[in-house]
Amino acid sequence: MTVKQMDPASLNGWVDGLLLNRTVIGPVQKGDKFVFESLSRASDLRLDYDTTLLPPKKFLLPSREILLTFRGDSHYASQAPPDPFVLLGVHPYDVAAIRQMDRVFSEKQVDTHYMARRGACTLVALDAQAVSPNNFAGCMGTATVREGWDLLFSRVGGAYLAEAATEKGESLLRSAGLLADAAPGQLEERDRLWESNRQAMRRHVLHCSPQDLPGLLSRNYDHPLWQERAERCFSCGACNVVCPTCYCFDVQDEVDWSLECGSRCRAWDGCLLRDFASVAGGHNFRRHSAERYRHRYYRKAKYLPEMTGEIACVGCGRCVDACVARTANPVEVYNTLLGD
Amino acid sequence: MPRPRVAIFDFAGCEGCQLQIVNLEEALLDLLRVVDVVEWREAMSEQSDVFDIAVVEGAITRLEDEERLKRIRQKAPVLVALGSCASSGGLNKLKNRMAMSEARRLVYGRDGGVSRLDTAPVKAVSEVVKVDYLVRGCPIDRREFSYVVRCLALGREPFIPGYPVCVECRIRENACRWQEGEICLGPLTRAGCGAACPAQGAACLGCRGTCDDANLEGMASVLAQYGKSREELESRLAVFLDPDGKGVSHA
Ligand code: SF4
Ligand code: SF4
Ligand code: SF4
Ligand code: SF4
Repeated sequence: MTVKQMDPASLNGWVDGLLLNRTVIGPVQKGDKFVFESLSRASDLRLDYDTTLLPPKKFLLPSREILLTFRGDSHYASQAPPDPFVLLGVHPYDVAAIRQMDRVFSEKQVDTHYMARRGACTLVALDAQAVSPNNFAGCMGTATVREGWDLLFSRVGGAYLAEAATEKGESLLRSAGLLADAAPGQLEERDRLWESNRQAMRRHVLHCSPQDLPGLLSRNYDHPLWQERAERCFSCGACNVVCPTCYCFDVQDEVDWSLECGSRCRAWDGCLLRDFASVAGGHNFRRHSAERYRHRYYRKAKYLPEMTGEIACVGCGRCVDACVARTANPVEVYNTLLGD
Repeated sequence: MPRPRVAIFDFAGCEGCQLQIVNLEEALLDLLRVVDVVEWREAMSEQSDVFDIAVVEGAITRLEDEERLKRIRQKAPVLVALGSCASSGGLNKLKNRMAMSEARRLVYGRDGGVSRLDTAPVKAVSEVVKVDYLVRGCPIDRREFSYVVRCLALGREPFIPGYPVCVECRIRENACRWQEGEICLGPLTRAGCGAACPAQGAACLGCRGTCDDANLEGMASVLAQYGKSREELESRLAVFLDPDGKGVSHA
């Protein structure tokens, strides 16, 4: 499908139209930060956001979700299937993270809860119009993305360009009515936007190629940096919670006052939390905070890449933003290991 | 299965945690279907010497209270400390920072001269007897209390987070108080309240006590990056995490 153009006012009108019969989730302001939220009107949208406190994963893998309900020993499986929704305004690095989650939850064992939500979601990406203080997506190759979205919006001059990549995206865009094709000059401008985002999203500059990271980590398991940087780590898990590629969860049962009926829930977990690697019997595989601190970087830039071929860090910079101890910082860690 | 018999006792505290139980409202009726409350001074006149679970609110401030608590413990197969006063001594421990005469004068003013008003240094319940479960907080969180009661009725171990408040705070997408120029004790404090204070725009004061392996030195080492001093941190710790000035306790 050819790239179309839309002025901001018609984009808002289109979103208000969508809101008449479906849920649309998009970036809105919260204090002086931004969050993804279910919209009540298009005018709340802040498409000029730099980044959000939590990534949009919270709508695909909720921080707490009921997996099934039970009474006594009999299980009542399945929650009602999710209604279709539009996830609008997702920056490229978050699109890249969702693609990684899709793989995690569909390869080998299919996670029906995640995949049902993912199937109900139309993913509308948006090229960033502002860069958050710690973003380094440009170093991770995720400042722009050519796949993973149904529809992509890019702001060029006074207009938005809209490109659909899937049938879902095309049909969503069709609901905007007849749109003019993008002019060749606008497409060139979009190329320039991409190039400038690749340059601007380097608030921390990684001194090697992401492909070199697994090897770099292999050589540095006993580097003193792990202990040094973990000394101020609170094991607070903020870096896990805000990370778009962290997907670990814990499953818990809760009973209601009947003491018979209840629900099985899963809630986000994090590898920085002290009890994350505790197993039945009380043994903890990563008892010390330095072991947990190190594990997170190994997981993102060695263990997962060795399985999937992709670094499990998209450079969103949220962990750097969120770490009160100012010790979570992937680029600082890797550059120190490089000796720089 | 017979309902477990529960007796609720109070020591030095504001009774705010018991009030939280009263405020369960509808859920209080559910609770009373699950357990049999046999003694509760604040809500009923009956007393009983036979119970399965003793719930103890308040800190221990007098020698005769220690004796009373020991007698309760002897009769109680399970003992639950309710709220931060019982769990850690709570605000009451501020008294331990000063001479008894000064404490008397602060509390009773001109009438404070009589040594009859003397009390002992404040202790947490666990400093006097063995405690099986802690329901922390100032005041307690009603949901957590209800959950613990259901677990005890089922004979299950309740899951109480060992991790810091920040986990719940970040999930709620609150503005971080450190970035707002405040000292927030969330990174040192045990979660379970849903980050109630940061969600209201206030820093965590640590009312739930320390999380597992709280990294106090880590916090001290980042103060400078935020333009804060050790004294400012200590004045915050004094409210709940280190009221008697003897170092952060790990309840
Ligand atoms: S690295 Fe920072 S955000 Fe992560 S657990 Fe440690 S203190 Fe918390
Ligand atoms: S590790 Fe940090 S920078 Fe990388 S994706 Fe996760 S939160 Fe973003
Ligand atoms: S406001 Fe406090 S509890 Fe919340 S993330 Fe910041 S330090 Fe942690
Ligand atoms: S945020 Fe801190 S002070 Fe507030 S209720 Fe929770 S533990 Fe207590």
